[in-house]
Amino acid sequence: MQQIGKNQLSILIIVFLIGSTPLFELGIKAKHDAWLAMILAAAAGLLLTVMYVHLQRRAPEAELAELYKMHFGRWIGGGIGLLYAVWFAYESMRNVRDVGELTMMALLTLTPKWIVMLLIISAAAYTVSKGLEVFVRVVQLLFPIVAASYFFIILLLFIARLPDPQHLLPILENGLAPVVKAAFPDLLSFPFGQMVIFLVFWKHVSEKKIIGRASYWSMIGVSAFLVFMNMLVMCVLGPELSAITALPLLEVVQLIRLANFLERLDVVVTLLLFIGLYVKMTALYMASVFTLNSVTGIAYRYCVMPIGAVIYASSFLEPNNTYHIWIGLDITLKIVPLFQVVLPFLMLVVGVRKRYKTN
Amino acid sequence: MNKKNAGPLTPLSPSLHANAEAIRNRFGGSCDIVVRFFRSDAAPDRELAIIYVSGIVDAETINESVMEPLMSLKLPQHAYVKGGKLLEALRNCVVSIGSIKDVSTLEEALQCLTDGLCVIMADGSPAALIAEVCGGEQRGVTIPQTQTVIRGPQHGFVENIRVNISLIRRIIRSSDLHIQMHKIGRQTHSNVAVLYLHGTADESIVKEVYRRLAAIDIDGVLETGYIEEFIQDETFTLFPTLLNSERPDTVAAALLEGRVAIMVDGTPLVLMAPTTFFTFFQSPEDYYQRFDIASFVRIIRYAAYVVAMLLPALYIAVTTYHQEMLPTTLLISLAAQREGIPFPGLIEALLMEMTFEVLREAGLRMPRAIGPAISIVGALVLGQSAVQAGIVSAGMVIIVSFTAISNFVMPEFNMAATSRIIRFVYMLMAGVFGFFGIFISVLFTLIHLTSLRSFGVPYMSPLAPGPTKQGIWRDVFIRLPWWAIVLRPLDLSLRNPKRRPNGRKPPAQRHSDKP
Repeated sequence: MQQIGKNQLSILIIVFLIGSTPLFELGIKAKHDAWLAMILAAAAGLLLTVMYVHLQRRAPEAELAELYKMHFGRWIGGGIGLLYAVWFAYESMRNVRDVGELTMMALLTLTPKWIVMLLIISAAAYTVSKGLEVFVRVVQLLFPIVAASYFFIILLLFIARLPDPQHLLPILENGLAPVVKAAFPDLLSFPFGQMVIFLVFWKHVSEKKIIGRASYWSMIGVSAFLVFMNMLVMCVLGPELSAITALPLLEVVQLIRLANFLERLDVVVTLLLFIGLYVKMTALYMASVFTLNSVTGIAYRYCVMPIGAVIYASSFLEPNNTYHIWIGLDITLKIVPLFQVVLPFLMLVVGVRKRYKTN
Repeated sequence: MNKKNAGPLTPLSPSLHANAEAIRNRFGGSCDIVVRFFRSDAAPDRELAIIYVSGIVDAETINESVMEPLMSLKLPQHAYVKGGKLLEALRNCVVSIGSIKDVSTLEEALQCLTDGLCVIMADGSPAALIAEVCGGEQRGVTIPQTQTVIRGPQHGFVENIRVNISLIRRIIRSSDLHIQMHKIGRQTHSNVAVLYLHGTADESIVKEVYRRLAAIDIDGVLETGYIEEFIQDETFTLFPTLLNSERPDTVAAALLEGRVAIMVDGTPLVLMAPTTFFTFFQSPEDYYQRFDIASFVRIIRYAAYVVAMLLPALYIAVTTYHQEMLPTTLLISLAAQREGIPFPGLIEALLMEMTFEVLREAGLRMPRAIGPAISIVGALVLGQSAVQAGIVSAGMVIIVSFTAISNFVMPEFNMAATSRIIRFVYMLMAGVFGFFGIFISVLFTLIHLTSLRSFGVPYMSPLAPGPTKQGIWRDVFIRLPWWAIVLRPLDLSLRNPKRRPNGRKPPAQRHSDKP
């Protein structure tokens, strides 16, 4: 069986959660208090992660679908597992579409979207067909690039004296209510609640004992980073501008102008976003394949191509980007708490009364 | 190991002439088979014969150590001779050669003949005596042609496997250096030696090497390249998963790190396995030079590799799709250069790159005497004139030349070759999709690289998967001083991971300036 190590798990969590998150100024409904909403959502996300880890501890060798089967019986559990497989594939599709839209907007305005999305989905399918170990290693290779690029961008922003902390003030102008509204359920569902995907991958971690610690710490670290990025964008653009731009981080980086040489760095950002999207897309795709495999028993390698084809085909369903963003940030975020909160919580409650065999 | 190929064995007949005739027949009466009948005073009543293949034996040794003792010695009253055991008497008391053995079948005798041994037979004995008299003309040990260093030993392997083994033995004077000889090739019967350091190399890897070698069934093995293609983990990859070298010090270093070396008779290049991606960026000189300089050079090498792969692609992408990335003055200058150029950037780059590849191959294959002509044609006609004629832009010539030079920085030729091919893919993708194309193709390369293994060791270790032990990093991207490199490279040696005890270097005695 394929195994991943402790550091690999941490890196996967970090890059997965970063994903495409800095692409959007999340929690902008709370205006300049967006970062507070982020903190709130991150804390709630950590609670969710505690719950997931607890569920995983009941049966360390079980995957998400197997856990559901254990708790709800073969048919109901299997049905829920299938739902998850569909949901993972759907989320993966969103990332594929994101890549298509991002490329259209930032790099290749005239290239047809279908070929761009075909290329990125084939990279994902290639990774998924190679298996989890290879995927995690690719993430390990990409991680230094991601870390160095973000560090570089942040450094340049400060050298160029772009951030203005005044934009964050006054804190809690309209009280706590807008912040809480922005945080739940939207911010919790994306990105923090997506930690539920690790119920699929934790099974493959070689040292089961460190799962909790590694997950909590990497999640805390990455939450801090995301909150920081959120504040940074807000500091540079201010609440009005960041609310109306499609890709705030891109806007921020375009403002960097140093020494008549370092300008137009948005390509670096686009590259970063591509990396994040690729990792997220592949992780979700792979989770979908794993789940389908454990529900139906169809061999892993036979699941790869059909699911890839479904993801690719469904990425054309939305007619345009506005529609895509609207579905993503309004409709989807209202439904996914079912998968991230309700179903795992039910499992937790049901499980309290059951006895578990260690195998 | 070639037992599966051997047909039924024919025992030697008691008649000397029948045996000699059989051997001659088997060789089809080849002219280089020498059969010499003679009589010795040791046993005047029985005829003797010595058979060898001229040219691959040392005639002097035969004369001095075999013929002369045989023909001049008298021991008619010796116990062996009385008992009719003439060959035993010859072996024990007469022939003065270190390596000697008995054979009893025709096939064994034939094999020994082609290996450069001589066969001694006596009338009336259904057996033969084999004496080792290897020799003949061979190239002497010289400076390595392909992997040169400024500081370090200046001798290279030759075509003779025995000489090559001796070169390693002289460096690693330990009984732990185990060497196993195999024969591979139905027709060539090439000697293939497996070398490893017992107790340091991972046993499972050594076993795996044996297993893969044993599975080879081919008519001939002329170079280690044959073996490489049989035993490498993945055939369809551009990246080499086995290291080769013609330097004894490189091979000795690899053995000390716990790798396994594979030698083939007839070639100066020796294979080493397992090999990871980062091994290809390490030159033997890194370890002889000061560590800080070596580290600097190594970083340059990594950078050059990236340049060799990506520079033309980046140039195409920037000039075709992302002009806004360039500083304005540079952009204007580039645009001015490209003003009269009839081709798009991609075609221009492909044209120049293909020209360079052709030039390079021509320079490699043509007779030495015409060498300068190539440089003139390459530098003047294709470089300068192409720009003046307005076929390519000057910027493109600079890019292609710098790419080419970067490619030569790699210490290992086969790794440099991968970047030559991948570069074209990147260029095409950059020409069609700009930066997105480069991103996708690099991503595919990374996925492919991480999925490779060399004898079970992940190809991209210790970067992905990360190191299992702290301290592996000290000899990957940079090289720390020797006293700091405590561990052997990742997972090559599970039983004996440390190459020296922990701790700093022995402190130098401090000399005070005071009188």
